[in-house]
Amino acid sequence: MPAEKEKRIGVFICHCGKNIAGGLNIRDLVESSKQIKGVSFVAENKFSCSEDGQQDIQKAIHEQKLDRVVVAACSPSLHLMTFQRCGEKAGIEPQFVDLVDIRKWTMHGSPQKTNPEEAFEKSKSLIELAVKRMRLKRLIPMAEIKAEQSILVIGGGVAGLEAGLDLADKGYNVYIVERLPTIGGKMALLYKVFPTNDCAPCILAPKTAYANIHPNITLLTNSEVKSVSGHVGNFNVNILQNPRYIDLDKCTGCGECVEKCPIKVKDEVFSAGLGERKAIYIPYDQSIPKKAVIDAENCLYFQKGVCRLCEKQCPTDAINFDQKANSVEIKVGAIIAATGFDEYDPSPKSEYGYGRYSNVITQFQLARLLDIDGPTNGQLLRPSDGKEPKRIVMIQCVGSRDEKANPYCSNICCMYALKHAQIIKEMVLPKAEIFICFIDMRTVGKGFEEYYRRTRELGVLFIRARPSEIVQNTETKNLYMKVDDPEIGRLLKLDADLVVLSCATVPSSGTQELSQILGVKLDEYGFFKEMHPKLRPVETNVRGIYICGSAQGPKDIPDSIVQAKAAASCADSELRKSKIKLPQSLVRASQLKKGDK
Amino acid sequence: MGEVYVEEFMSPGCVGCPAVKNMLEDLSKEFGDQLTVEEVDITVDTTRASQYGVMSVPAIAINGVLKFIDVPKKEDLRNAILEEMEREE
Repeated sequence: MPAEKEKRIGVFICHCGKNIAGGLNIRDLVESSKQIKGVSFVAENKFSCSEDGQQDIQKAIHEQKLDRVVVAACSPSLHLMTFQRCGEKAGIEPQFVDLVDIRKWTMHGSPQKTNPEEAFEKSKSLIELAVKRMRLKRLIPMAEIKAEQSILVIGGGVAGLEAGLDLADKGYNVYIVERLPTIGGKMALLYKVFPTNDCAPCILAPKTAYANIHPNITLLTNSEVKSVSGHVGNFNVNILQNPRYIDLDKCTGCGECVEKCPIKVKDEVFSAGLGERKAIYIPYDQSIPKKAVIDAENCLYFQKGVCRLCEKQCPTDAINFDQKANSVEIKVGAIIAATGFDEYDPSPKSEYGYGRYSNVITQFQLARLLDIDGPTNGQLLRPSDGKEPKRIVMIQCVGSRDEKANPYCSNICCMYALKHAQIIKEMVLPKAEIFICFIDMRTVGKGFEEYYRRTRELGVLFIRARPSEIVQNTETKNLYMKVDDPEIGRLLKLDADLVVLSCATVPSSGTQELSQILGVKLDEYGFFKEMHPKLRPVETNVRGIYICGSAQGPKDIPDSIVQAKAAASCADSELRKSKIKLPQSLVRASQLKKGDK
Repeated sequence: MGEVYVEEFMSPGCVGCPAVKNMLEDLSKEFGDQLTVEEVDITVDTTRASQYGVMSVPAIAINGVLKFIDVPKKEDLRNAILEEMEREE
C-alpha cells in the first residue's frame, strides 16, 4: 500500500493574540483537527511566529516524530517562509510545511471577516484540505541550477537606470530595454524637480551618461520585451529591436539629416503634443544614445517612395532604409520591471474641456512649455494665440481621488503643481496670478511642507474647491469658471488665460501586456502588484522578477530610487551565490509543454 | 488504489480554465472520494503559484507535482491521475 499511512502530520493553530482567538473557538478547532486522517498531533500557540511559538513547533516535531506540518495562522505571503525555515531547522523538508490563512475570517479590519460560526467552519475545511494536501504530497527532489549572472531591466527611466547601474557596479551584466529611442524616461522631460528645483536633465545626466558607457550595461533602445520563459536564475527573454533605420555605429548625432528633412509632425512624446519634430529626429539634446531615428509612419520615403534627403545629407552614410526589426534572445537570472507611468488623459472629464479648449493643458505639458529646451524654449505661451497668460488656474486631482476615474491619490500632483507655480512666479512670469484649486494639499515628504509654505509666500493663491465646469469664450479663448470657496463662504468667479490640469498618474501603456508576458499580477488599478504591500514591496508573485518606481504605484523620484535600489538588492541576493536550489517542479514548469507529464 | 490530490491553478477570466474545471468535475464523479480537487486562484494565493513556478493558467499539480500547463487532453489528465493512484512508494 502507498506509504502515506505512515505520515505523521502536526497541526498548529495560532491565536495571533486575539486576532484569531477573538473571532472563533480555538478549542473546537483543535478538537476537529485531531479527527483529520493523518494528523498525529495538534497544538495551539498564542503567537506561532514568535520565538516561543517556533520552539514549540520544533519541539513537537522532535517529540512527536512529525514529518509534515500545517500551521493555521495568517497569509502564506507573509509567513510561509518563516514556518518553512522553522520546520527545516527541526529536520522537515520546507515543502512539507504549509501555512493556511484563517485570520482573514476573524481579524478586525479584514474585508473577509465573518461571524465566529462561519469562521470556524471555513477554517476547519481549510485545515482539512491542507492536511490532505500535505499527506498526499510527494517529495520533489531539489534541483540545483546555475544562476545566470545577468539581469534584464525593463524601462530606462530613473528607476530602471538606478537599478541597472547598481547591479552593473556589482558586476552583473545588465540589459536595459527601453521602448523609446532614448533612455531617461519621464524625468528627463520634467525641466525641474521638487523640492530642490534642480534641473531634471542635469541631475539625471550622470546616470544616463554612466549607463551609456558602463562596460556591464547593454542599452537596447527602441526595443520591447516580447516573451519571457524559464524561472529565477534562468529566464529566456526575447526582445524585439524595432528598426531606427540608422546605423548606430555610424551615426554621430550631428543632426544634419534632421535639418534637411521636409516633414514636420506634432511631437506627442517629447513635447507632449505642443511642439513639432521632423520625420527623422533626435528626441532631445541629452538623448542617450544621441542618434537619429526615422519615424516610418511619417517619412516620405516609407509612405510615398520619394525623398531620401536625409540619406543624401548624412556625412557618415548612417541612414539605412533597409534595416529590419531584430529579434534578440538573452538569458538572465532576474528581471526588474521599471516601466514607469503615463499621465492620465483628462479628455473624459468633459467639464474641463481638455481637447476642446486649446488653453486647457496638463501639468506635463506645462513642464514642457517651461523647459528652456522645450518647444517654446521656456517661454510660457498660450497654445491658442502664443500670448503670455496673465492669470493661470491649476486644478488638482483630475482623474485622481475620483470614483469615476481613479480612486487613488496620485501622490505627486500636489508637489508638481507647487513646483510649476514656483517656477512661473520666480523665473518666467513673476506678475502672473496663479490660483491652485485643490481638495487637500498633500505635501508629505522631506522638505515638502516648507516648499508649500514658500509657494504661498510667493503669492500663489489656494482655493479649497474645484470648479464644476469651465466655459470658453469662443473669441478670446479665455476660460471662465465658478468656484464655491468654503473657506470664505463665497462663490468665486474666475477667469483665466490658461488652465492647467494636475492629472492622475496611471500605469504606462503596455503594462497589461507586459504583465501577461512576465506572469506578474497587476493590482486593481493596473499597476504591478507587489508580493506584500508593506513587507515585500518590490517582490512579485514570480520569484526572480522585481518591480520598482511608478510601475508599482504612483511615487516621486526619491521613492523610485529607493525602490530601484531595493529591487537591485533583491536580485543580487538571489543571484550572488551563482547557484540556486529550486524544487524540480519549478524547473520542470518552464520545460513543460501542453499535454506533457 | 491510493488517493490523489489535484491542485487546479486558475484565475478569473482565464480562457482555458473552465475546460479544465469541467474535466476535473467529470473525473471527480468517476473517482469519487479517491480524488480531491482544489481550485487555486493564483490572483489570491500568489505564494502557492510562486512555489510551484506557475506562470500561466490553467496549470495542474497532482499530489504536489506540477503535471500540466495549459489545457491537457482529458485522457492524458485521467491517465496521470490513475498513474498516481496506482503508484506505490
